[in-house]
Amino acid sequence: MFAFGIAAMAPALIISRMVSPRKRSNPVKFLPMECGQVPSGEGRTHFMMQYYPYILMFVVFDVMAIFLYAWGSALLELPKSATLPMMGFLAIMFGAMAFALYQSGRRRIW
Amino acid sequence: MSAIAPKFKLSEFIKSLLDNAFWAVLLASLIGLPIIQIVLFYIEMPVIDGELLTPFLALTWLADPTRSLPILKAFMATDMFRVMAFPGFGFAALIAAGTIFIERKMLAKLQLRVGPFYCGKIEGILQLAGDGLKLISKEIIIPAKADKPIFWAAPVIFVATAAAFVALIPVAPGWVVADIDLGLLGVFAVIGFFPIITILSAWSANSKFPFIGGIRALFQMVSFEIPLILSLLGVVILTGTLNLSEIAASQSSFPWIVFLPVGAIVFFITMLAELERIPFDLPEAESEIVAGWLTEFSGMMYGLVQLGTYLKLYAFAGLFVVLFLGGWNGPMVVPPFPEELLVGVELGPLTVGPFPGLPLFDQEMLNGTLWFVLKTVGVIFFILLPRGVFPRIRIDMLLSLGWTKLIGLAFVNIFIALGLLYAGVLGPGGLQ
Repeated sequence: MFAFGIAAMAPALIISRMVSPRKRSNPVKFLPMECGQVPSGEGRTHFMMQYYPYILMFVVFDVMAIFLYAWGSALLELPKSATLPMMGFLAIMFGAMAFALYQSGRRRIW
Repeated sequence: MSAIAPKFKLSEFIKSLLDNAFWAVLLASLIGLPIIQIVLFYIEMPVIDGELLTPFLALTWLADPTRSLPILKAFMATDMFRVMAFPGFGFAALIAAGTIFIERKMLAKLQLRVGPFYCGKIEGILQLAGDGLKLISKEIIIPAKADKPIFWAAPVIFVATAAAFVALIPVAPGWVVADIDLGLLGVFAVIGFFPIITILSAWSANSKFPFIGGIRALFQMVSFEIPLILSLLGVVILTGTLNLSEIAASQSSFPWIVFLPVGAIVFFITMLAELERIPFDLPEAESEIVAGWLTEFSGMMYGLVQLGTYLKLYAFAGLFVVLFLGGWNGPMVVPPFPEELLVGVELGPLTVGPFPGLPLFDQEMLNGTLWFVLKTVGVIFFILLPRGVFPRIRIDMLLSLGWTKLIGLAFVNIFIALGLLYAGVLGPGGLQ
């Protein structure tokens, strides 16, 4: 399906390239969009790092969420006592997540 | 209308059509007939049913339903058909096109406008085709400093990834392109690609607005992926499988939204965020950063990204239906096929039938598709509705919503599912 998507959509771009007019260029035409102004500076600018901790948290807790799937999909075959260590894991994880959220809320240190 | 083509004359248009038809017939007879003669003279044709197979005989087969229907039916059983037409690309693109039209008209009605009106005479029903033609005939402008290969590839990969997502959604019993055991994990894997494509295209454009939009998209998709993953864990706990077809089949008596409404609500909100729809459309906030990460796309590249967005919307709505609303399950409303049609009818001198493979679709599949489409359209309606109702939210509100409230609610949902399981309400020995 992925391959079919590529195979079906690449001709759309090619046909468009063949059909569409390609007028003479002037130096302003291929500049990046900046609402009509002549752009200044680089396109890839500096950006604020204040939300960066959320990306770091994602790296950790995404793996955790997928581990929970390994447990959840096998839960019907497991004995009931197997749920207790999982609850312990979740408790540790809640603590870690609360600490990470508290730290990411402190904008001053980022 | 006269401003578009001032020198248009109907008689000249018809004349040009007839000219083209004349040349087509002439060329076909000058080239096609000799080819048939050459085939007849020099190639040994097989003998089928005591008759020599000639091209003319092959042409008569095309008109004979007893021969062509089994071929058609065999074609419909192939993977090719599934990928291209029914549960795959064609079906999804059709629903996506309908969604675009409904969205524009519905949003217009919500805002006391008329929406698309002129193209196609009846309520602007051909507006989408007109837009497609316009987009495909527009010049593609690429910024001079852009990273060209990645910039060209990004829209195509976006559509292809959305198509890969569509491939995982079961539409009717047995009608799914990729029926894999770890279907839900496959869905998460495919969803994980979208922020990568977004940030790639935003970085390769080398422009300020796409860059800001791409960073926003990254934050948004990343912080809403964990609530999305966790909100579906309740369903997996209760069904014990990750296969989407089995999850849909497990809801034959009641849909999971009855027992897991919290998970359904959390999944719906995260779905809005993953689809970048209002109130979570920060990556393409058109009133702040021109069009976000789509700013530098022009012509058909923009059209492809839009197509991919709506394919994704259909796939998410289908996923919601499969997981929470019971998928294809519903009362049987499609009437059984009449027996007479299957046996064959006598029409005076001709005998029509019996057609060996006339019911191309069986009753169960038609009924399942009907219910799936009805539910999916309902979910799509609720995805479209907030666009006319809510304002956009701020990025810090978005992040705190995703990381504290939605994750908390997702865990509440997991504990509800565990409680239902251990109290014996659901699962083995329970209702099911």
